[in-house]
Amino acid sequence: MSSGYGRFALARAGQAAVVVLLAYVLTFLVISVLPGDAITNSLRDPQSGLSEADIQRIVSYYGLDQPVLVQLALSLGRFLTGELGFSLQSNLAVSQIVGDALPSTLTLASTALFIAVAFAVAIAYGAHYAPPRWAGILRCIPSFFLSVPNFVIGLVLIELFAFRLHSFTTTDPNSATATLFAAVTLAIPVSAPLAEVLIAGLDHESRQEYALVARSRGLTGAQLFARHLVKPSALPSVAMIALIVGELLGGSVITETIFGRDGIGTVVQKAVTGEDQPVLQAVVSLSAVVFVAVNLAADLLTPLLDPRVNVREAANA
Amino acid sequence: MPESHVPPLLAVDGLHVSYGRKEVVRDVGFRLDRGGSLALIGESGSGKSTIAKAVLRLLQPSEASVTGSVRLDGKEVLAVPERQFRPLRGRQLGFIPQDPGSALNPVRTIGAQAHEAAALTGERDPGARRRMILEALEQVGLPDPVRVFDSYPHQLSGGMLQRVLIALTVLPRPSLIVADEPTSALDVTVQKLILDLLGDLRKELDIGLLLITHDLAIAAERTETLVVLKDGAVQEQGPSAQVFAAPRTDYARELQADVPALNPGRYRSQRLDVALKEPRDVPQEFPQESATADRPVQVSVTGITKRFQTRGKEVRAVDGVSFAVERGRTHALVGESGSGKTTAVRLLLGLEQPDSGTIAVGGQSTAGLSRAGIRDVRRHLQLVYQNPFISLDPTWRVGRIVREPLDRFGVGTTADRADQVRDALQSVGLPADVVDRRPGQLSGGQRQRVAIARALVVRPDVVVLDEPTSALDVTVQAGILELLARLQRELGLAYVFVSHDLALVRQVADTVSVLRSGQVVEQGTVDQVFDQPRHPYTRALLDAIPGTTGLQSPTGTAPDIQETPKLAEASL
Repeated sequence: MSSGYGRFALARAGQAAVVVLLAYVLTFLVISVLPGDAITNSLRDPQSGLSEADIQRIVSYYGLDQPVLVQLALSLGRFLTGELGFSLQSNLAVSQIVGDALPSTLTLASTALFIAVAFAVAIAYGAHYAPPRWAGILRCIPSFFLSVPNFVIGLVLIELFAFRLHSFTTTDPNSATATLFAAVTLAIPVSAPLAEVLIAGLDHESRQEYALVARSRGLTGAQLFARHLVKPSALPSVAMIALIVGELLGGSVITETIFGRDGIGTVVQKAVTGEDQPVLQAVVSLSAVVFVAVNLAADLLTPLLDPRVNVREAANA
Repeated sequence: MPESHVPPLLAVDGLHVSYGRKEVVRDVGFRLDRGGSLALIGESGSGKSTIAKAVLRLLQPSEASVTGSVRLDGKEVLAVPERQFRPLRGRQLGFIPQDPGSALNPVRTIGAQAHEAAALTGERDPGARRRMILEALEQVGLPDPVRVFDSYPHQLSGGMLQRVLIALTVLPRPSLIVADEPTSALDVTVQKLILDLLGDLRKELDIGLLLITHDLAIAAERTETLVVLKDGAVQEQGPSAQVFAAPRTDYARELQADVPALNPGRYRSQRLDVALKEPRDVPQEFPQESATADRPVQVSVTGITKRFQTRGKEVRAVDGVSFAVERGRTHALVGESGSGKTTAVRLLLGLEQPDSGTIAVGGQSTAGLSRAGIRDVRRHLQLVYQNPFISLDPTWRVGRIVREPLDRFGVGTTADRADQVRDALQSVGLPADVVDRRPGQLSGGQRQRVAIARALVVRPDVVVLDEPTSALDVTVQAGILELLARLQRELGLAYVFVSHDLALVRQVADTVSVLRSGQVVEQGTVDQVFDQPRHPYTRALLDAIPGTTGLQSPTGTAPDIQETPKLAEASL
């Protein structure tokens, strides 16, 4: 098992690295192919206030006078050594811009993930063990959650809790309560698919014969849930959570805007409107890294949680 | 002894169960004494499993309504709240489920689940519980209890899992065990061992047994009282020997006639090619019997071997297997799971290529054939798969399912195909209007008829029958076997019949190969192999057939029921 697992982990990590590289190359090429030279455009913008010498320095740094493939090689080489370049708008190091925005986004995303998982488990448990009428209502909640747009939830929460109940103020978006409500806004839509996967898993597992046999051994409903049903029904949601983490990190733009937070979403928004290629390239690549890393973690975790998964077969898949 | 002052262990009276408006159990009542054994017997849909679940109170109140009386040791248990009933679960009332493969949580170790059973004894010290569990695992004949304790369910075989479940059930020393088809998912030799084990433990620990089964032979052999159910109502009940030897109701008689072990000659007359008038009871030499013009060899398999690599080891799934099947004859491949019979069938169908050996169908060797060539051969070789509940696409209509091979091989015009589909459905005894129905609207027997029609529609010479009745009830099985016998006689089909059920093989086959670990351990005519088995493994398989030990076929008491009218006709 252990050597088999090592090989499996290695193979998966290798695949993940390839995906990250491909994502970087693809992003680079897409931005290069877009009509107009984004970098030169912004450099030549009279409002940029750059001198001819500055422009020459930047052009040679990015190899803009050379073919695209050389530019790619240059840029990729720097990316691999951790050098992300400089913003064309502010002249700040991209790593600094991202580094400043990241803590806010991470706090928001991790709080939202926690809330989303809690919501999903509560809904799924209720849908199974509440009296039939309530269970029926709970089963409708995920589709309701999915159908309400994120910004509506955010605006309602701000109106209700900030303006009416004064639980938090919009002027201090990084306070704990403000973060909490922003996280709830972000968590509600992503908790829906998770809850649905859990409900489906519980439905399936509770119909299995082993659940019947365990009940015949005198287990109560709660014992059956905790000891027998949670783990197998949660297995599909491990992959789901990995997808959700990517969504939380990438999809927080709207929430950040509504709550006035300065996070990665804001950085992306500014980079897109300002055609700030190095920033865009860095953020997209980092998202790819996070997405791939989280999914890698889910892949590596699954065989440890589910003894039926054969790592030998999975490594060759 | 209905009204003694000691109350029976289990007394069921006026039990009714409905799923919604559908009443599936009607006014069922029976008694089981302390340490006694009783079998509820019936086909699927007879309500036997529902009764078991009602007694165990495992039916969800939201889906089933249960009325009547179930008394355990004289105490009514049906009406009491769950809180009062729960202490009886496991401690008084044990449950052994049907499919050991799905009866344990797949993501928890055996040990973790065994602790739940051990906790019912009231023992609090985990170390002491662990010792109890290991002792119980040893008691049920598991060779390495510690390894089993640490294993996950998928790491053990079906037989081992059923032993584990029995160990967990008897561990808290219940006074009653309800066993729902405890061996129907197991091989025949394993079935015998498990039933023996259950019997021994019962005697040793004085446990009452409520056995749910569709197999009359098992019920009669293993229990003292039989309750025959049909459509949720009791048809007949009484001491096993009496009900078995002299059934009073038509239904019980039908069930008895359909037990293969009791009626080995049942389909002979129907299969016998009357024109040839071959005296089949005279032992024939095998396999030297030469092919004649009337009886060309349709399938000839010579020394096929197939190796697989698993976990770095080489396994010979099929190892030098040879057999031949003539036109109009049936050859059976018999063996338990892992014997190589499935691989042999896959090789025969060309789904895999043998590492060595040759396969010829209709005199043409399949070795070295192109894809198109193999496809052409396959047209003469059709498969009827074992489980009609999963082998038919549920979204297709029957007409399309049956027509598919014609479409694949591009046979005839659209109108021709429609005609052929209708003919095929007619020949398997299905009404013409099933064409527009989907598999979900058909019964198991009807579905298997559809599968047979699908195989026949391209007019094959050879049909491979892979456990064609193992998913079906015994009376439905009889109908399918009669159909297969008639088709063989009419169309001169050669059958390769794959089965683990020796009693069935004796009824339907002419010649047989007994497979074990990929090798043929014994081969010959059915009469040779069954009457004078030479290999100990064959003898073990034969001994394991329920209904052959303990109770003998009641030939003397009721000979008439074994003779079908057609048999009488043919013997003239």
